[in-house]
Amino acid sequence: MQYPEQFDVIVIGGGHAGTEAAAASARMGAKTLLLTQSIETLGQMSCNPAIGGIGKSHLVAEIDALDGVMGLATDQAGIHFRVLNASKGPAVRATRAQADRTLYKNAVREILEHQPNLQMFQQSVVDLVVENDNVVGCETQMGLIFRSKTVVLTTGTFLGGKIHIGDQQQSGGRAGDPPSIALAERLRALPFRVGRLKTGTPPRIDGRSVDFSELESQLGDDPRPVMSSMGKRSYHPKQISCHITYTNANTHQIITDNLSRSAMYSGAIEGVGPRYCPSIEDKVVRFADKSSHQIFIEPEGLNTTELYPNGISTSLPFDVQLQFVRSMQGFGNAHISRPGYAIEYDYFDPRDLNHSLETKVLEGLFFAGQINGTTGYEEAGAQGLLAGINAARKCQDKSPWEPRRDEAYIGVLVDDLINLGTTEPYRMFTSRAEFRLRLREDNADQRLTPMGLEFGLVGPLRRAHFEEKLSKVEAFKKQFKGTCILPGSDLDQKLALNLRKETTLEEALRRPEVDSEKISKALDKPLTEENGDAHPDAQALKQLEIETKYAGYIKRQDDEILKLRRHEGMLLPASMDFSQIDGLSNELKQKLQHHKPDSLARAARIPGMTPAALSILLINAKAASKNSTKASTL
Amino acid sequence: METDQALNNDLICAIATPPGQGGVGIVRLSGEGAHTIAAELCKNPLRARTAVYTDFFDAEELLDNGLALWFPGPNSFTGEDVVELQGHGGPIIQHRILNALCQRGARLARPGEFSERAFMNGKLDLAQAEAVADLISSTSIAASKAALNTLKGAFSQMVTAIALDIANMRVRVEAAIDFPEEDIEILQEARVAQDIAKTITSLESILAQANQGRLINSGISVALIGKPNVGKSSLLNALAGEEAAIVTNVPGTTRDLLKVDLVIDSLPIRLVDTAGLRESDDEVEKIGIARAKAQAMEADLTLYVAAADEITTQVNVSDLGKNLASLLGSNDTAAEMPTSNILLVINKSDLNLAAGAPEDVASVRVSAKTGEGLDLLKKAIQESVGFGQENVPFAARQRHILIIQDTLAKVNAAADALAQNLGAEFVAEELFIAHQCLGEVTGIVTPDDLLGKIFSEFCIGK
Ligand SMILES: Nc1nc2c(ncn2[C@@H]2O[C@H](COP(=O)(O)OP(=O)(O)OP(=O)(O)O)[C@@H](O)[C@H]2O)c(=O)[nH]1
Ligand SMILES: [Mg+2]
Repeated sequence: MQYPEQFDVIVIGGGHAGTEAAAASARMGAKTLLLTQSIETLGQMSCNPAIGGIGKSHLVAEIDALDGVMGLATDQAGIHFRVLNASKGPAVRATRAQADRTLYKNAVREILEHQPNLQMFQQSVVDLVVENDNVVGCETQMGLIFRSKTVVLTTGTFLGGKIHIGDQQQSGGRAGDPPSIALAERLRALPFRVGRLKTGTPPRIDGRSVDFSELESQLGDDPRPVMSSMGKRSYHPKQISCHITYTNANTHQIITDNLSRSAMYSGAIEGVGPRYCPSIEDKVVRFADKSSHQIFIEPEGLNTTELYPNGISTSLPFDVQLQFVRSMQGFGNAHISRPGYAIEYDYFDPRDLNHSLETKVLEGLFFAGQINGTTGYEEAGAQGLLAGINAARKCQDKSPWEPRRDEAYIGVLVDDLINLGTTEPYRMFTSRAEFRLRLREDNADQRLTPMGLEFGLVGPLRRAHFEEKLSKVEAFKKQFKGTCILPGSDLDQKLALNLRKETTLEEALRRPEVDSEKISKALDKPLTEENGDAHPDAQALKQLEIETKYAGYIKRQDDEILKLRRHEGMLLPASMDFSQIDGLSNELKQKLQHHKPDSLARAARIPGMTPAALSILLINAKAASKNSTKASTL
Repeated sequence: METDQALNNDLICAIATPPGQGGVGIVRLSGEGAHTIAAELCKNPLRARTAVYTDFFDAEELLDNGLALWFPGPNSFTGEDVVELQGHGGPIIQHRILNALCQRGARLARPGEFSERAFMNGKLDLAQAEAVADLISSTSIAASKAALNTLKGAFSQMVTAIALDIANMRVRVEAAIDFPEEDIEILQEARVAQDIAKTITSLESILAQANQGRLINSGISVALIGKPNVGKSSLLNALAGEEAAIVTNVPGTTRDLLKVDLVIDSLPIRLVDTAGLRESDDEVEKIGIARAKAQAMEADLTLYVAAADEITTQVNVSDLGKNLASLLGSNDTAAEMPTSNILLVINKSDLNLAAGAPEDVASVRVSAKTGEGLDLLKKAIQESVGFGQENVPFAARQRHILIIQDTLAKVNAAADALAQNLGAEFVAEELFIAHQCLGEVTGIVTPDDLLGKIFSEFCIGK
């Protein structure tokens, strides 16, 4: 049967990519359908129960700046908040929250259920409807056909999933999910390149069997941060502590003795695991000189006793898991509630996508999330948001939004994937962003909200909030510019400036030792908390401080960006045969042929590239384009 | 398609006249702001498309005088703002003018870059495109070769070593930023501060060496090396045109280094005579020989002098690198002394013995006594350092030095950021840019390379 109504955008999958995609396209006014195997698992956190962290919280802030779901849901569900890198500068400061899985799911579901233009339907998708190389809908298990202008596929690790617990294997998606074989077969028949990845999970522990008195406890931060720029502390549920324990010589001995039984080491696993998230087996083997590893014990929620021991993901057999878990301080009597396992799965090579996340193979089909070889809720959510935006824009006959690397971590993420592909589950790090100093949590709204307003993506509440922030910052800026401090004056003394000549408050703020807190105190306007939240002016003042202190660096990066944009505008024709270009080293030829960069800027990011090689590329590209225009005018 | 913009329109400069063709030397400048900084050097306003007679200054110091011509873009050779400074000075003066321009924000053009810009701005037709690309690839290869040759392997080894040091510092700084929860941060700052200080010292010492009175301003150094009595001192005198060195028929006459500055067809050369290499018990001579060996390693070009009457077979000269290495008393030396950096000079050709020149190495037959072959030798000296071909070694060397200067400035800024407690990301930013500067020589290092290093060095992961 064909469903009577037609949609603009169908989103398949209700994970973090799917929910952001569906919500975004609906916010933009596109008639959206979210198809999921289970409405109960919308917004499910299938791995560790935490949102944010370095690089990742930057993605959440960007999603939030575009009025997305993740930040808002985290403030509803976070049970432990911290600011990482608090002692470093604002560009690398990152908010991280432990979330209660159930509260998080509920929050996501509530947001989606109240989203106009969005409908949900629970059913497995078995096929895409394709007409003239265009995707125009999909078919569900019961033979129901939904028609749409575009489809966003966000089905995670559903392709060829294989779970390893020691020497036992089973096929499947994440533990518990049925694999969606039919759709997978359909996609495999298309000319997408497919790669194989691996990731692991630790055994979960029943908290009642753990002796917390033997563990180090870690409190959340005070003052407590919020995840969304619209978030309030009063939204947060009850806060609880996390704990830390350590592996020891005994733990390592148990693991070493049983290495041959690990799926990783027996050769049963062919997928490539992430370098930044080694299994406990790997850590013990590769860093044999380390006598102990730190294990973060994360609570899974307020109403569950289950714990997530972060740092001991493993593919050892269950009996070994039990032994080594029990060897750790405080875990002597631990009961494992779910065994740890390694999972292998296929992903689609993201180099087969455009920067809009639309596939190059089928028009109207977008991929987002883990299916593209990434890992992490935040990476998935960011892609979902972008795919949702671009699917909706396609329905509106608008050109896709392709955020640049200097605009957003989302831009870095997508550009890395599409330009270089990935050989391990891709995770965001701030070191991936060459314009890190401008891609901050604190200015995500200034970078992206105007764009969101233009796209019709951002609602009136956020708009008002954003405009208020801007006007406050502006007002402070004016005030600081206009405030003169005389040597020996009250302000000079209070700020300990030791002035020799008159200066402005703005100039004073540039000094490393002066900050917004000191200034507000010196002005006798202490910005104390209001109703349990930071003073509304405090954020604006902090913003001004950051902008003032960063100004010199930002200026320098601006110059770099200008250069980069010129490179970006220099497109390399798709037909370019890099192996035929004289004057390039063979190594570079091979790399270029492999990555097939479509612009000079992308070529410039290929390892080993030199300015001379770029010049040669440029001239060849230009000559090629002149040739072809000549040919076409003949 | 004329809306295409050049890759960059930042300011570039280079010597536009072929070297050694005396009379007028032209320094060309193209890009945004060309007019402004040229006017600064001239301390005179420039007029569009009009030759202005003017002095050229570096700050208060008068460098040269001549004509300044300003061609406002797009009606210029490159399509950008172009200024030509036509002076009288030889390469030394021209390089000082380049330095003065670079200090004011210009950078040295890469090989073929003026033509490249001209092409990108539609000033050259399609047929010329290939020629430009060829020029860039051939000259960039020649330039890097020349840079290697003239600055010696040691220089590029140092640059590579410093790039590695910077990469290692970045590994620690970036790891501390991206993985603050791992227990790897302890003592990082102190260690990074130490490493930064060490890198600054290395960069400064490279610069000091490179600048030692000659690399930028006075051309290349050429060492005369060989066994006693082959006529090294006689050759020095012949080339210099004066009796600077003592010549006797007693082997072991020259005991210490003797340096003479001379100019061969506008190529400035510091010629160094050395003690003849042999086993000796004489304290003074031993020191002289040690100095000779060091000189052979340091010089941009080594003239290995042999006497025609002593060469009996082909064998003892054919494997020059090894031959010299064994003379210098080290096996490693063979690896560090590419034969392209050594020129075999067979002296005393007037004795007219049937000593054949080896086929596998460049050699010149001369007679210090009669002057036969001296012109050939001069030419060979110029060619062996690339002089005469687009002024490549000069440009390459100077570019390398400027890159090192830039790198040093950024590493210094990183040290400041660290000292002022500005935050790890500022230290990281400066080191990133420093690394990029060196990347022009060593090729770029991607964030993923760096992450790979982090993960292999530190146990990271939850
Ligand atoms: N016939 C001839 N004799 C030469 C020539 N060049 C140098 N001699 C003679 O060779 C002898 C040694 O010359 P020097 O120039 O002192 O040789 P050197 O290599 O500097 O010797 P040490 O300083 O002792 O290492 C002198 O008697 C010179 O006159 C030449 O081209 N032809
Ligand atoms: Mg002598």
